[in-house]
Amino acid sequence: MEALAISLVHALPVLSGVPLWAMTLLVTVLVAAVVLTFALTYSGLATYVERKVAGDIQARIGPNRVGPVGLLQFLADGIKLLLKEDIIPAKADRFLFILAPYLVFIGSFAAFVVVPFGVGLIASDLNIGVYYVMAVTSLVVVGVMLAGWASNNKWALLGGMRAAAQIVSYEVPVGMALLPAVLIAGSLSLQDITRSQGGLFGIFGWNLFHNPFTFFSFFLYYVAALAETNRTPFDIPEAESELVAGYHVEYTGIRFAFFFLAEYGDMFVVSALATACFLGGWHVPFLSAEALPAVWGNLFSLGVFLGKTLGLVLLMMWVRWTLPRLRVDQLMRMAWKYLVPLTFFNLLGVSLWLLLFHGKGIPQMIASLFG
Amino acid sequence: MGLKAYLSDIWEAAVTVAKGMRITARYGVDPRETITLQYPEERWTPSDRFRGFLHNDIKRCTSCTMCVRVCPIDCISLESVRGADKKLVLVSYDINIGRCMYCGLCVEACPPKSLTHTSGYEKAFVDRGEFILRFVPEDPEEIKARIAKQVAEAAAKAEAEKAAKEAEEKAAKEAEAAKSAEAPPEDPKGEQMQSPAAAPLAEAAFAAGNPAGKPEKPPEEGGEGKKE
Repeated sequence: MEALAISLVHALPVLSGVPLWAMTLLVTVLVAAVVLTFALTYSGLATYVERKVAGDIQARIGPNRVGPVGLLQFLADGIKLLLKEDIIPAKADRFLFILAPYLVFIGSFAAFVVVPFGVGLIASDLNIGVYYVMAVTSLVVVGVMLAGWASNNKWALLGGMRAAAQIVSYEVPVGMALLPAVLIAGSLSLQDITRSQGGLFGIFGWNLFHNPFTFFSFFLYYVAALAETNRTPFDIPEAESELVAGYHVEYTGIRFAFFFLAEYGDMFVVSALATACFLGGWHVPFLSAEALPAVWGNLFSLGVFLGKTLGLVLLMMWVRWTLPRLRVDQLMRMAWKYLVPLTFFNLLGVSLWLLLFHGKGIPQMIASLFG
Repeated sequence: MGLKAYLSDIWEAAVTVAKGMRITARYGVDPRETITLQYPEERWTPSDRFRGFLHNDIKRCTSCTMCVRVCPIDCISLESVRGADKKLVLVSYDINIGRCMYCGLCVEACPPKSLTHTSGYEKAFVDRGEFILRFVPEDPEEIKARIAKQVAEAAAKAEAEKAAKEAEEKAAKEAEAAKSAEAPPEDPKGEQMQSPAAAPLAEAAFAAGNPAGKPEKPPEEGGEGKKE
């Protein structure tokens, strides 16, 4: 941020009188505002797309009344939620009840900071990017647990406990499934991981095709991440048929909207991570985005990155409206008996591969055969 | 669980998920699968045998009261008077569509086929009294007065013709008949049910569908004895 502020001062001599800390603060706030605006707009549109996808899959039409083809439905929903009465149950733990949605929201949206949108488009290229995302999204568990506990409601409590059990369990395979990408890039920074996947027509450099283990690692990550976002088929924390709505059953209005936005934010973060770690991130096929002029390179890479990520989000919606919900024991069995051993196996496989072939992937070897 | 079963479990999970997603993708992509009808803008055309709201073509109606008798829930009320040419003249024909169960018995029973089911099925009212469909647009009292006048005129004409033969006693009798035909207009609220046997019962049942105080409901003591 400070570097950006300094370059801004160099570009605009008018600002040279402003102290550096003020410029840094200004730039930080601006970047945060841009990222948050993007995140909120995306969340709103994602709810619309989700409902449309659900409608299509269930032979319905979906929202089509507000605005052209119902596109403004999410604005109508948002305004409705803002205007709703804010109800806090009399027996609820007031402070925790109010705190919980913020924790969930922050946990989900803080991860947007390290999402590598483009060649230079990243709010903060932390050198521990992958760990940062995993650490910060764990904050969601705290919020969910608080919401369940503070609501003083048996369904909310059960939902919160289930969510905690589920998220904590699935953190393990998520982390293990991401490690192959970290191993290949030799860095935890998401920008470095993305950069390591360039070359070879921009497609075969992807970690997805690096070797068989990374290929499976992508799918394992995707399944585990799906569970971590509490979405169907892993939505037992908010299983409607048994828990009404789970941990947010007592929340109304804008507090409920925070939970809702956090879920869609989570979807994006998880998909963005999958894109950055396995699908080549912002690399434009057949072009080198980094070699292009800054504006075009950033625009192209942003488009490609969003295309891949939103494609994965769409896949999540597709899965949601296809598969039935898992039982609690099935969920735990899947995490500990299938995903965890498999991701460990994959990690071992990738490590051995890198050791034996000196970090070369299969496409690279084939390419070297033809010179 | 052996390694083989373990791996086949994973394989089965992957295959079945792919299978399910193929099905939902087909539904998601194929626009022909959308069966939702945007109701107010578009709607199905009901089949020919659809039993919608009842409609009585009063020009063809012979006031035979078959529909009134056959209706299992007494939602049809019919009133008629005998006209100058000895035919029944429809004074009022009301159907309480809020009580109708669309069984279609009245339509089957109707001898001149004047009573039909339309294809209409959309109605909404704020008051239960409005559910009563009235098929005779004119005021029953006016019709009765008109018919009574016609009958009286016809009687007077007949009287003038017969005056030569039998003047006095016949004239008195006709006058009495005219008087009895004129009797209903004196009734403060008027009467709906004129069908002979089922009249009191049907009237009570019919009125049960109306909220109290509606003008079409006859008062409890108002002219019960003045039925023809």
